[in-house]
Amino acid sequence: MKARWELILIPPLLLSFMLLAASQIIFLRSSFYRDLGYGSSGTEFEFVNYIKFFNDSFYLKVLWDTVSVSFLAMVFTLAFAFPIAYLIARMWSKWGMVLLAGIVVSTFIAIVIKVFGLFIMFSRNGFINQTLLSIGLIDKPFTIIGNEAGVVVGLMHFTLGFGVVLLFSVVQTIPRSLEEAAQIFGASRWRVWYRVIIPLCLPGVVAGSLMLFNMSMGAFTSAALLGDGRIYTLPVLIQRVVVMEAKYGMGGTLAAVLLVSVLLINLLSLYLLLGLRRRRLVIA
Amino acid sequence: MKKLQRPELLIRVMSIPVSRILFYGWCSLAYIFVLAPLVIVAGASLHRGSRYTVVQFPPTELSLYWYSQIPATHWEALSLSFGLALLSAALAYCIGIPAALGLVRSSIRGKSLLSAILRAPMQIPTIVTGLAFLQMYYLFGDLTGLYINGSFFGLLLAHLFVGIPYVIGTVVAVLQRFDNRLEEAALSLGASRWRTFYRVTLPVIMPGVYAGGLYAFMVSFGDVPISMLLSAPGFVTYPVELFYGLENDFNPAVLASSTLVIFLSLAVMLAMQKLIGLENLLRSDGNRG
Repeated sequence: MKARWELILIPPLLLSFMLLAASQIIFLRSSFYRDLGYGSSGTEFEFVNYIKFFNDSFYLKVLWDTVSVSFLAMVFTLAFAFPIAYLIARMWSKWGMVLLAGIVVSTFIAIVIKVFGLFIMFSRNGFINQTLLSIGLIDKPFTIIGNEAGVVVGLMHFTLGFGVVLLFSVVQTIPRSLEEAAQIFGASRWRVWYRVIIPLCLPGVVAGSLMLFNMSMGAFTSAALLGDGRIYTLPVLIQRVVVMEAKYGMGGTLAAVLLVSVLLINLLSLYLLLGLRRRRLVIA
Repeated sequence: MKKLQRPELLIRVMSIPVSRILFYGWCSLAYIFVLAPLVIVAGASLHRGSRYTVVQFPPTELSLYWYSQIPATHWEALSLSFGLALLSAALAYCIGIPAALGLVRSSIRGKSLLSAILRAPMQIPTIVTGLAFLQMYYLFGDLTGLYINGSFFGLLLAHLFVGIPYVIGTVVAVLQRFDNRLEEAALSLGASRWRTFYRVTLPVIMPGVYAGGLYAFMVSFGDVPISMLLSAPGFVTYPVELFYGLENDFNPAVLASSTLVIFLSLAVMLAMQKLIGLENLLRSDGNRG
């Protein structure tokens, strides 16, 4: 009777493994063939696309831009998500539920629609520009479409909901009694944050941030729409190279670079987490 | 309760620590940031407007005009997206639930490797998945003459690939907390294996099942990169239709159909709150990745 559980694991595993291996091997293989134009590729196995990637300042700049906007998005997402997560986790009233609902709804709504709202919000004659103009804070309308700030804002909208959900579960693991104890012994509110809340949350926050960073690295929709053909991140460039130029070899190379960077970040987060666990900094 | 006199009220407000004001102020700002785009889309959809200033927020000429102008392509795209998301979530159940049961309850070695393989699709950027599946379909087509890119089945397979790990993640999370004595009790009282599963195990793991299904559904319903690479002209999902609409010709009716989607998501979430409670939805999400 005991073998039952192993048996039901086989079909899903076979399917997942086949899809995973087949799709990944095929695209990785294609990255080693030269593009001959019009979607056809060479027959010789060579590293030409990779050499091109690492020698062309355009591609390297795209890689750097992807990392830098993802990093900025991660920092700002944390700055917004952690206080919200803390607020909701420490609030067990009806209002806490309402606040949580706001986050969950925004998480589940397709990112295209949110970007759409951003377009209207920050358009040249949108109400933000009009208000800032009328009170004299700016002297000409500003835009977030087609610049790095815009891409960062778009990525934040993509990751913020997940960030709150992630950090919410981190804050929940910390008993409120620890904070109360510190307060009873005379710690100020700031000191409680510095010496109790932040150190206890740190491992979870580190792991969570790397996850958010990863999400941003792979985000296509918000980066494509807000970059508007002027700012390229790797996912946007992949789509462009494949759809517009039909260069499957180069597309595969870019995808491989993206995939490897994301996997490296995952390994790093695992390593960090294991290190912290060894030093008994994580309870879980 | 005694009504506060004005000076008293002032003192009370003044005695709130600055740090607390800053904290709540910051949180409010974050909420405005999160929700503003949705409110704006919904608000702007109500603005009738002339031909040139069609999009405006806050709306000044209230009307449901654009709701009557939603083009047929939007409805087609919406129904494709909906069917696709529903079917891929359902199939993700058929594969994800057994996989989760196997992962938690079997005693084979190398479980963490198996778990990593099963969850890997979640870590792969969706654009990479899209490209990889496109190439796989091309190769499959070249070998068999059967091209499934641009077909419903092709889309479904890729969406399923991405959706399964969410079901596995949430169901594994609830199964790990499952008290095995419940099943033992049912079995020892003479219930069959299947009856035990249906009447004992399934009800207990239901929150994780609902949550996983919802994630699988929403990931499929909101996806652009995969569907974009795998769909064909005239056969696109709703987010892809919106994406092209934003990049190329802009039709304000997009606002109206997006607002309908926002309200649909809201309704789904309220249903989830009634069914399992929001905290359960989040708790079972604890080990994403």
